[in-house]
Amino acid sequence: MAHSTRRGLAGLATAALAHSATLRQAQAQARYPSRPLQMIVPWGAGGGTDATARIVAALLEKELKQPVNVVNRTGGSGVVGHAAIASAQPDGYTIGIITVEIAMMHWQGLTELTYANYTPLGLVNRDAPGIQVSSASPYKDITALAEAIKASPPGRLKASGTGQGGIWHLALVGWLQAMGLKPDHVRWVPSNGAAPGMQDLVAGGVDIVPCSIPEARAMIDAGRARSLAIMAPARDPQFPDIPTLKETIGVDYSTAVWRGIGAPLRLPAEQAATLTAALKRVYESAEYKDFMRSRGFGMDWADGAGFRSVMAETDKAMGEAMRAAGLAKT
Amino acid sequence: MKDILEGFALVAQFDVLLAILASAVYGLVVGSLPGLSATMATALLVPVTFYLSPIAAVATIITASAMAIFSGDIPGCLLRIPGTPASAAYTDEAYAMTRKGQAELALGTGLWFSALGGIAGTLSLVVMAPLLAELALNFSSFEYFWLAALGLMCATLVARSSPVKAIASMLGGLLVSCVGMENPAGAPRFVFGITDLLGGIEPLPALVGVFAVSEVMRAMAAAEPPPLPRRRFGPIMAGQWELTKRYQKPMWRGNVVGIIIGVLPGAGADMAAWVSYAMSKRFSKEPEKFGTGHPEGLVEAGASNNASLASGWVPSLLFGVPGDTITAIAIGVLYMKGLNPGPTLFTERASSMYALYIIFALANIIMIPLGIVMIRLAAGVLRAPRAAVMPVVLLLCAIGSYATGNNLFSVLLVAGFGVLGYGMERCGYPVAALVLGIVMGSMFEQTFVTSLIKSDGSILPFFERPVSAVLAAITLGALLWPLGVWAWRRFARSSGSRKARQLVG
Amino acid sequence: MLLSDRVTGVGVATLGAFAVYGGLQQPGVPGQDVGPSVFPTVIGLGLLLCGALVALGVGRGFEAPAEAAGAEGPNTVHPSPPRFGELRALLPPVLLVFYVLAVDRLGFLLTAGLIALALSLALGARPRLALPIAVLAPPFIHIVFNGLLRVPLPEGLLAAPW
Repeated sequence: MAHSTRRGLAGLATAALAHSATLRQAQAQARYPSRPLQMIVPWGAGGGTDATARIVAALLEKELKQPVNVVNRTGGSGVVGHAAIASAQPDGYTIGIITVEIAMMHWQGLTELTYANYTPLGLVNRDAPGIQVSSASPYKDITALAEAIKASPPGRLKASGTGQGGIWHLALVGWLQAMGLKPDHVRWVPSNGAAPGMQDLVAGGVDIVPCSIPEARAMIDAGRARSLAIMAPARDPQFPDIPTLKETIGVDYSTAVWRGIGAPLRLPAEQAATLTAALKRVYESAEYKDFMRSRGFGMDWADGAGFRSVMAETDKAMGEAMRAAGLAKT
Repeated sequence: MKDILEGFALVAQFDVLLAILASAVYGLVVGSLPGLSATMATALLVPVTFYLSPIAAVATIITASAMAIFSGDIPGCLLRIPGTPASAAYTDEAYAMTRKGQAELALGTGLWFSALGGIAGTLSLVVMAPLLAELALNFSSFEYFWLAALGLMCATLVARSSPVKAIASMLGGLLVSCVGMENPAGAPRFVFGITDLLGGIEPLPALVGVFAVSEVMRAMAAAEPPPLPRRRFGPIMAGQWELTKRYQKPMWRGNVVGIIIGVLPGAGADMAAWVSYAMSKRFSKEPEKFGTGHPEGLVEAGASNNASLASGWVPSLLFGVPGDTITAIAIGVLYMKGLNPGPTLFTERASSMYALYIIFALANIIMIPLGIVMIRLAAGVLRAPRAAVMPVVLLLCAIGSYATGNNLFSVLLVAGFGVLGYGMERCGYPVAALVLGIVMGSMFEQTFVTSLIKSDGSILPFFERPVSAVLAAITLGALLWPLGVWAWRRFARSSGSRKARQLVG
Repeated sequence: MLLSDRVTGVGVATLGAFAVYGGLQQPGVPGQDVGPSVFPTVIGLGLLLCGALVALGVGRGFEAPAEAAGAEGPNTVHPSPPRFGELRALLPPVLLVFYVLAVDRLGFLLTAGLIALALSLALGARPRLALPIAVLAPPFIHIVFNGLLRVPLPEGLLAAPW
């Protein structure tokens, strides 16, 4: 920056402009990917989604031989970042991590965006909610708890773990409905996420916290809480002692949060195939498995088409649960 | 004993020591830049921790956050722009000292008592972690409600202006915290169809706007102030021992309050600083000196916010429940590095725990020499012409607020809050009370609504539980105090003027 | 004092009225007795009360010492403030808005340079000071944020050479 006159600066600007334009053209003809990728995360740094995105990005970088930069685009409770992924250039250089909220936000009338606004590339994680009670709770197993819920007057028992209309609230609603009860039979106490919900559970403020098991794990390990059942079709290999709802009380209800990688619509099929193949190798790598095991996150893989059907199913289920709970606007 | 030695061995690795040193410098720099908070300093470190060994990774988080909380005092003191929300409570005080020519005393106080507070917090972590954790677990939303109410009451105690205006500002802050859908009902409120407002207004852009941008605006509107007398920046630690002896009681009170507030999940360094500063004024023998450049409040609040930082790790390490936003990030790093929070961390991996304690202590010790260097460098700002400093401050405001979420909307928020803060200041409304309202607002509403849901609409449990009854009594006392003073003054004045009239008549 | 207490008091009360109105517009939420309307409504009522008290001049007794000892100090030997002081004060927020509008097109280095130049000149700097600041400050900030902290800053017309 030796030029300090305006003319020098302008000259420099033109030169840089010309330089970057020719460079881009040249790169566009080269083989994909020929420059760094950007991975948008709709949630803040330090959380579970951020951690998942960063490990995927770090491993994807090795597969694609190009840097993959993680960018946290927060705001609007996830709407801003999801919108940024959908509206990016479909050139294969901007991808993003899509979370289960995409199947919920549009029902609440918060955004027009749905899962149909993305090119799905691959599902990388899925966590089913467990049903946690305090270790001081009289309910020793899920059968006892289910009986107690059925026997109690509506609103007596309280549950917590997310905000009103959040994913774990909807999981509770779905479970109650599957048992033939009203969606507000167990009263929902909104909280700022699972950790404060678990704290309130142990402090005796609420009776049930239906959050994912990794979120409840520290309290379970501390002997302060128990996980009675998991709302999944099969037991989680990482937590084999926790039975499913179906095998215990015969209620066939399952739901989950998931995270997957997506891109804007109209992504060229060739690039989508390259990315999906790379993601699959990332998913199968030992590093990814180690990471997911250390965090206790559930492993689940689906390719583009599979991820799309997961999103479609969730979208339908969430819509039903939200309508039942009176939370849907559309 | 073996565990302690192993802990030392774990810390005395080249990579760990290097990580501590580098993140110390990083934390000092980031914390001192207006618009960048300690939380952001740690958030931006997360990707770096990917490449570090577990102990080194945690060391960077611990060191950087402690340094950033201290160095947030630096721009607050020199430019009246708090670097982090935790410094906002006593920024006016520190700046008043600078105007009196005591910048080195103010900064030295911040440094010395931050380090002492940090060490006290570390000791509490070592000695009483299980006990403190038990305390934290017994806090349910009823207790938190009173705690939040108590925090809000500080608005009138901290401000040196009309209590009515202070309360109006604080209510304005609460109204700002209503924006968005992060409320117990999950209902989007006051968003006016703007997607960016759905997530609500974060305290950080508001803080940057009302303090930093409005300071730049004041510089535009006022003539260049007469330069401070040109003299050598005196020794920074001089007089600190004197202060330690004179204000022993406030210091200990600050440490204890900081430790207690820090250990409660959801209440962190910001609230510790506010409550301690207000307490200091309330219990001081010379409350009239507060706000005019009096170190007593700095001693107590400076000790408090750093003490809270260490004790904030207690619920995080034992139960995975974050004590504040910084430990929320730290928990993610702990999991990623296989140091899963839980009581087993204290038993099976005791050497790692001791390593963490040692890092805490080490970070607070090296804070002193590094902080002195940082203060000396930053003091150059006092001599630099306004026309050189303010453009850089404004650019940092824009970038700093952008950087957390990579969202340009927060830059607009900063601009809007700048105008608001400038206008409020010029009309005698304290901006610090506004920030307090924004910081405490969602906790206040959340705890109120969830408590009512849990009690099926009854307000009795707010007073029945023992801890919550005590907190309720303190809060109501703090609420009635200024009213009592006002009524008394009113009475004294009217009877005084009646007497005067009688004399004239 | 920019505006009299009477004016700001009415302003605060208006804000309170708006909050009450906005609060009452909130629909109820199934399963919650205390809906989203309660909190804004209560705050609004508080603001209405405070606004009225401010307009009536209650509590001004506490304010007098604050002004005498205000951080800026009393107007002792200050030269007279620059003309159009209040309007000039709006320049920083306007520059921030300019930043938002221009940064994606012009890029960070150019936008930041223009802002620094404008503000520095407006604060009465001679070009000898203003130009180096406009040229040196943006690259420095760029290195810190883009290079060290990995915050993506738009390149726009002028890409950073590093």
